[in-house]
Amino acid sequence: MIASVVIPAFDLRAALRHRPRLQGLPAALAPLPGKEPLVGSVTGAAEAKGVRPGMRLGEALAMCPELELVEQDPATVEQAWEEILRRLEDAGFAVEPAEPGLVYFDSKGVERLYGGLEPALKRALAAVGTVWDPRAGAAERRFAALAAANVARPGQALIVSDDRARSFIAPLPLQLLPLERRRYEELEELGVKTIGQLAGLPGSAVAERLGPDGRRAWGLARGEEQGKVAPRRPATSIHETLEFPEAVGNELTLRRGLAVLLEKLLSRPERAGRPPRKVALWARLVGGASWRRTVTLREPTADPARLRAALAPKLAELPAPALKLRLEVVELAEHTGEQLELIAAEGEMLQGRLREGLRQVKAAVGAGGVSTVVEVAPWSRIPEARALLVPRDD
Amino acid sequence: MVTHPGSARTARAARRLNAQRLNTPRPALVESHADGTPRQVNRQTVGTVREEWRVVDRWWTDEPVHRRYFDLVLETGENTVVYHDDDAGTWFTQRA
Repeated sequence: MIASVVIPAFDLRAALRHRPRLQGLPAALAPLPGKEPLVGSVTGAAEAKGVRPGMRLGEALAMCPELELVEQDPATVEQAWEEILRRLEDAGFAVEPAEPGLVYFDSKGVERLYGGLEPALKRALAAVGTVWDPRAGAAERRFAALAAANVARPGQALIVSDDRARSFIAPLPLQLLPLERRRYEELEELGVKTIGQLAGLPGSAVAERLGPDGRRAWGLARGEEQGKVAPRRPATSIHETLEFPEAVGNELTLRRGLAVLLEKLLSRPERAGRPPRKVALWARLVGGASWRRTVTLREPTADPARLRAALAPKLAELPAPALKLRLEVVELAEHTGEQLELIAAEGEMLQGRLREGLRQVKAAVGAGGVSTVVEVAPWSRIPEARALLVPRDD
Repeated sequence: MVTHPGSARTARAARRLNAQRLNTPRPALVESHADGTPRQVNRQTVGTVREEWRVVDRWWTDEPVHRRYFDLVLETGENTVVYHDDDAGTWFTQRA
């Protein structure tokens, strides 16, 4: 079975970790500068006053004048999420993180470990921690597992068997489906308010009105999806931090700080000579906000000059003076060095280089970024029946 | 009911490999003449109809295929292939 663990409004909960006073008050995540003025996740107190995620800022403030706006804190969100994933992995769950606050895993292996599905889900909830109010769901399909986790109460694990999955998701609201906000509104105007009502419509009509996303949502509503869980490779944890005695906005000083961080990071023994493939630069800004940029190198390198050239331009994007600067290795290459070639590579060596190139592309674009075309019925007169796009995760 | 070996195989393989079909049809906004030939595709006027053909397949299954394909050149110079799904009564675009 596929299990999912959901932490509602994870981005807001993470941002409020350092401001617990606000957790019981009406608060919402502020919109990002330069983006549409829509509020993000909201606290229970704000929801009780009528503020909804995705609402216009003006409307939200008119509805709840005492609403506290919380600045987005992507670095804390990422850090808190990574801590949760590691706790799950330490408990034996091979997790596939979908987004901060939502993770999937296959229960097949861990059921034996913990003596059944329900104890395994309870263990996963305990690994996440009660402070996050996690909920768990399990079903034969990903979407049904997600729906079950969304319906469960904090700390509860809900298991939906395959024969009643369709009747279980039918009365649930459309908002569980991955659709744009305006699509929900469009469907609600047409009188379609539940997943079951959408599933009852003809597929071609949904595709014509809502496009490919609508067709996919319709497929999910009818239980047609067959996604497997693709667990992540546990991340490497190598990072170095530099704390400034006072806030630094001068780019020259920041560049010097970066050079020191690079030197310390490259001398870490955990690296075992392997060059970084993907690195991240993180800063804690004046006022408590954070900033993070990830860079995938063109080719893995441990040359400080090349790493500086790739990372230094990012420092110019800092929106405010920094109090702390941190450099992290997100992914390391698997080889320790590369011999320049005298004769053209072939056989095993060529295969090895191809695999390394694919890993580099995956680091840059994420899982599912590399696929192979597999012909299954090349003779078919129906074009979409001829070939499949198969993700390569090896 | 007997199913088309190709389609059943493709669907089974897609499920097993966690894969997606290549070249799936996408809905298109098409206005047509009285004889059924396209006049506008996604609000672009059709310049020439280069070719037209029919695909009738899987008529012995629960999901028969009745499509009328058109290979078109739009007035913008773009080549495109659209088809009319005779069962659903809707238009799609696809690389044939």
